[in-house]
Amino acid sequence: MDLNLNRADYLQVGVTSQKTMKLLPASKHRATQKVVVGDHDGIVMCFGMKKGEAVTVFKTLPGQKIARLELGGALNTPQEKIFIAAGSEIRGFTKRGKQFLSFETNLTESIKAMHISGSDLFLSASYIYNHYCDCKDQHYYLSGDKINDVICLPVERLLREVPVLACQDRVLRVLQGSDVTYEIEVPGPPTVLALHNGNGGDSGEDLLFGTSDGKLGLIQITTSKPIHKWEIRNEKKRGGILCVDSFDIVGDGVKDLLVGRDDGMVEVYGFDNANEPVLRFDHTLSESVTSIQGGCVGKDGYDEIVVSTYSGWITGLTTEPVHKESGPGEELKFNQEMQNKISSLRSELEQLQYKVLQEREKYQQSSQSSKAKSAVPSFSVNDKFTLNKDDASYSLILEVQTAIDNVLIQSDVPIDLLDVDKNSAVVSFSSCDSESNDNFLLATYRCQANTTRLELKIRSIEGQYGTLQAYVTPRIQPKTCQVRQYHIKPLSLHQRTHFIDHDRPMNTLTLTGQFSFSELHSWVVFCMPEVPEKPPAGECVTFYFQNTFLDTQLESTYRKGEGVFKSDNISTISILKDVLSKEATKRKINLNISYEINEVSVKHTLKLIHPKLEYQLLLAKKVQLIDALKELQVHEGNTNFLIPEYRCILEEADHLQEEYKKQPAHLERLYGMITDLFIDKFKFKGTNVKTKVPLLLEILDSYDQNALIAFFDAA
Amino acid sequence: MLQPVFTLKLRHKISPRMVAVGRYDGTHPCLAAATQAGKVFIHNPHSRSQHLGAPRVLQSPLESDVSLLNINQTVSCLTAGVLNPELGYDALLVGTQTNLLAYDVYNNSDLFYREVADGASAIVLGTLGDITSPLAIIGGNCALQGFNHEGNDLFWTVTGDNVHSLALCDFDGDGKKELLVGSEDFDIRVFKEDEIVAEMSETEIITSLCPMYGSRFGYALSNGTVGVYDKTARYWRIKSKNQAMSIHAFDLNSDGVCELITGWSNGKVDARSDRTGEVIFKDNFSSAIAGVVEGDYRMEGCQQLICCSVDGEIRGYLPGTAEMRGNLMDISVEQDLIRELSQKKQNLLLELRNYEENAKAELSSPLNEADGHRGVIPANTKHHTALSVSLGSEAQAAHAELCISTSNDTIIRAVLIFAEGVFAGESHVVHPSVHHLSSSVRIPITPPKDIPVDLHLKTFVGYRSSTQFHVFELTRQLPRFSMYALTSPDPASEPLSYVNFIIAERAQRVVMWLNQNFLLPEDTNIQNAPFQVCFTSLRNGGQLYIKIKLSGEITVNTDDIDLAGDIIQSMASFFAIEDLQVEADFPVYFEELRKVLVKVDEYHSVHQKLSADMADNSNLIRSLLVQAEDARLMRDMKTMKNRYKELYDLNKDLLNGYKIRCNNHTELLGSLKAVNQAIQRAGHLRVGKPKNQVITACRDAIRSNNINMLFRIMRVGTASS
Repeated sequence: MDLNLNRADYLQVGVTSQKTMKLLPASKHRATQKVVVGDHDGIVMCFGMKKGEAVTVFKTLPGQKIARLELGGALNTPQEKIFIAAGSEIRGFTKRGKQFLSFETNLTESIKAMHISGSDLFLSASYIYNHYCDCKDQHYYLSGDKINDVICLPVERLLREVPVLACQDRVLRVLQGSDVTYEIEVPGPPTVLALHNGNGGDSGEDLLFGTSDGKLGLIQITTSKPIHKWEIRNEKKRGGILCVDSFDIVGDGVKDLLVGRDDGMVEVYGFDNANEPVLRFDHTLSESVTSIQGGCVGKDGYDEIVVSTYSGWITGLTTEPVHKESGPGEELKFNQEMQNKISSLRSELEQLQYKVLQEREKYQQSSQSSKAKSAVPSFSVNDKFTLNKDDASYSLILEVQTAIDNVLIQSDVPIDLLDVDKNSAVVSFSSCDSESNDNFLLATYRCQANTTRLELKIRSIEGQYGTLQAYVTPRIQPKTCQVRQYHIKPLSLHQRTHFIDHDRPMNTLTLTGQFSFSELHSWVVFCMPEVPEKPPAGECVTFYFQNTFLDTQLESTYRKGEGVFKSDNISTISILKDVLSKEATKRKINLNISYEINEVSVKHTLKLIHPKLEYQLLLAKKVQLIDALKELQVHEGNTNFLIPEYRCILEEADHLQEEYKKQPAHLERLYGMITDLFIDKFKFKGTNVKTKVPLLLEILDSYDQNALIAFFDAA
Repeated sequence: MLQPVFTLKLRHKISPRMVAVGRYDGTHPCLAAATQAGKVFIHNPHSRSQHLGAPRVLQSPLESDVSLLNINQTVSCLTAGVLNPELGYDALLVGTQTNLLAYDVYNNSDLFYREVADGASAIVLGTLGDITSPLAIIGGNCALQGFNHEGNDLFWTVTGDNVHSLALCDFDGDGKKELLVGSEDFDIRVFKEDEIVAEMSETEIITSLCPMYGSRFGYALSNGTVGVYDKTARYWRIKSKNQAMSIHAFDLNSDGVCELITGWSNGKVDARSDRTGEVIFKDNFSSAIAGVVEGDYRMEGCQQLICCSVDGEIRGYLPGTAEMRGNLMDISVEQDLIRELSQKKQNLLLELRNYEENAKAELSSPLNEADGHRGVIPANTKHHTALSVSLGSEAQAAHAELCISTSNDTIIRAVLIFAEGVFAGESHVVHPSVHHLSSSVRIPITPPKDIPVDLHLKTFVGYRSSTQFHVFELTRQLPRFSMYALTSPDPASEPLSYVNFIIAERAQRVVMWLNQNFLLPEDTNIQNAPFQVCFTSLRNGGQLYIKIKLSGEITVNTDDIDLAGDIIQSMASFFAIEDLQVEADFPVYFEELRKVLVKVDEYHSVHQKLSADMADNSNLIRSLLVQAEDARLMRDMKTMKNRYKELYDLNKDLLNGYKIRCNNHTELLGSLKAVNQAIQRAGHLRVGKPKNQVITACRDAIRSNNINMLFRIMRVGTASS
């Protein structure tokens, strides 16, 4: 089925957060709907489209930043009451813009997510979940990690309240009252939850989730256990999911799935006979899609997908054709509308320009006085710094409401900046005098005009830790820049997981001493990514991690006065030992570090590396041969004379090259880790084997698993 | 939306920039392109199975309508076009590092095959100036040569460095074509026959040039820049992180004006308006673009734009029709305009809000710690920059120094300098560690070449704890000769080499020139003529004396012939001198050159000797082979073995001989380059007519192998005394 949607921009408001735009229900069938949106300036705006012009229904005064906007109303009636969450307050408006509710929750943190069902209000701040009924506190839950979204399965269908929390530690927590019924592990940190088909599907228990690494899934939440229905893996490496909606845009009677991502991708999935999702349409906008909903706004009778973007654009992707097929007069009118719009915009601009000039002069004058101050305008930077599991690299995404002029990247640890196909900015590496100024990387990205979003890829080395700083300068007067800091942790390539293999041979590092639980927790936060900054509840806690590059694992269990770290990779233990003793010395805390090394673990790790190494070596060898083989092919005309192995390489040439390109320097990284393993193994024995490293590299060059293991044993 | 009218996927790789369309039989356009293994393929979709069983051409085993031409050497340039107007069809020209082949595809015969010592790294075909017959002009090691259809070189001149790109364009609007040459020293030179009429300095190696229309031409650099020049003025340029592989002028939107079509290394093709550089069309290939050409490939009477990727994918586009009204992309212009205007409005609103907030901040209490964190600084903070010369210390080599400071207690968090041609990349960053933050920063700058550079500075000013900083933007020009420090004259160290010339300018004007082009200390006070100033080069410590006599005679003493040339050219443009004859003497350099010339002769003779040896050896091989085979037939295995052993040894000798030949050849190329450069430098010391006279005269001297004459010309500027 061919879906063809045309883009129409309606208007721009301030910067918007995730899920802050909704369409009010239509008054009658197929009539146009009104759009209501809340932005970071705290303004709630409701507008409709009339003859291509946006007509405001109401607009509130500025206030605190609006984090969520939901529609509600008595159950089984049109949901047309508007609720917003700003700071720790919930406010309600009628569709005419009359405020009927102002509810101060007294939460200590500001509200991050909200769900409304009749008179029930489900709220979550960073770690706290609260359930109110008629503004009365009902239930409370403190989550172990950040809560990204909250939803409640449809009460009117299930006749019970089943709130579900999407937590940063890759878990959906299903609650009953104030207690967790069960936890569901999902493949990435969930960022958004939605009811399937808008009502929970056939069972009323079907829940959609989207993750920050771009995966989508459907889970049925039964009373006792979750049933995974389907999952869409993010094969094309698209952005994280920020919003989903169900709407029949194709017009086949089945609700399609509308998805908005943080790289500006809008997708429509239809469902096949087996109820599996199939991609029907995609469209790229230039910035994060914060909210998405299907409906009808621009012209009655034409369905469309309405999205809001980070910088506040409300845009429709409509089924209405751009080129009208009706008579020539019609076309003229259409153009006339456009022209009117343009000329009104132009005159508005002129006035503004004049005003700005005046202000600019005033500003210049103020610089003459000695008392005056000059404050830099703050602009909001939407950033994301995440570890990609697939290639064990970090991606840094920076998004600003206006065009970016340039970005300076500075790092005090050795890291590699990789090229990202998507971004068009011109990168330039500057020389850096590392000793005196702690600079290991200085690079500038000069952005092309109209770039509001920049994506970078960074490869870190475990054991080398420090800070990465990004100085973002947008194209706006007066020129200012904002600095953002990102920590490269010592175990930067590790990722949280919930299950590990307990049968592996493990090395253990034990810490004992006079330190508190929260102190030790802060060290764990310092060393490992994806650990919540807030010390978890309870006296003793266990976190599991997985090395995304080597698949080795780490278990950390700690309580007041004692911490135990177990890993099958000696290097991991060695890094932890170095970092922890350094930190403790810095804070003048007396630490007893003891370790127990399991010799078998080295062999185990080497075996774990073996298939990866072998695959990479083979791949490199094959890729090396491709050009020569192709030349032979051209020369001889056919490939019959080649041995099957070579013919196979020729057939797969494109695929092989693609694979090779995807993992730059993979082999070097593996070599580096094997070398570390070798050095660390003997470091624990108290011998320095750095002199033998060249020998090791020689063995690696003519790799054979047994020879390598023998070398490790013999040395 | 413009769609390709045809798409082909050939199973041959295409070498970048080596694609040409020609009507080799006079009617059917065929695509010729260099591919792997020293081959050229010709794709002929029009006449199938018309194959010519000849030694050079063989049918591709992979595709029926592709024939392969064996060159047996790496192809370094390729073009097609009319070389002999009487023939009525196009010739294919293929250049390698040693030869140029003009090939008649239709008759499968060579038109000519010439050895070119300077190599052929770029080629263009067409008429140049007043030369009536079309020329195949090749550019190699600092040299340009033009051949007519008989293989006679009717045109020869030298240029500053290795040639990377050539184009023919009516630069001065006289109806005749001038030659544009892009070379490795970042210069675009314009030759009116063998006279240089203009020189434009760019920031990187010029990889492609193409004529647009009239005096307009497009260019591409190896750092991802493409742009358009009109005469010597740059119209626009853009820079991408990808490299432009091929550029071509083509009227894609049928508005009567050619657009600049660029094929990029990431597989993108875009068409940009020649006036603004605005993209009017783009398309994507799965691999890098190898070439962009045009031709009536479908034989329907109108030209198509043909884009080829390195993987052999070929797409043809017809120009947009009138109904599309130049709207080649599938977006509506109005929608775009509205979006752009709204964005502008949003930006203005933001700016306005910034001022409002600033006004609010002003009303509040005096500066405190929290303000510093948010990046509030006193409004009267000024930002100073100063350029000076630092003689360096033990730890640091001598350099030009840029000092940036603020006028109060605010600190400089970082300085970004965007400049071209000074740093390894396009930018340089100074980011002091937290412990070394202060209100002033000293930045050493060492420009590698003597060119004026615009430094675009962005200084981040705030307080220690700030997370937001003010950005002060400023552009400073680094003078051309910033790497020379004023020193006190020391007659003992005065260089022997000199240039001497007379200009009709007052001494004050010369002082002005000095001030503009050197970093002089502020207290420098130069008295009236006659006077002399002395500089020391920060690069190698060489001395530079500039003496001015009352009569207006200027003597520049330096051992660096390039520097002398740069000074003369800089003065000439400052004082608007059109013609300047110069007397020059560079004894050391000339002595070196003499040695090089002797060496060139040696290499030539070695080359001949080696070639003769090789011919001898091949005779020997033949006889040995015959003898060995005879012995085999006679069943005299011992003799046969011996003969084959000898053959083996001979083979080894041949291989060794080949290696020597190779080395000899590279040495020869190096020496030839040095000679060409010397001529170029001698020309660079003069301005206008005398400059061309020197180059022509030097060339004649080299041809007649009159070395003494050559040096005489270099010294006094003319052949006659």
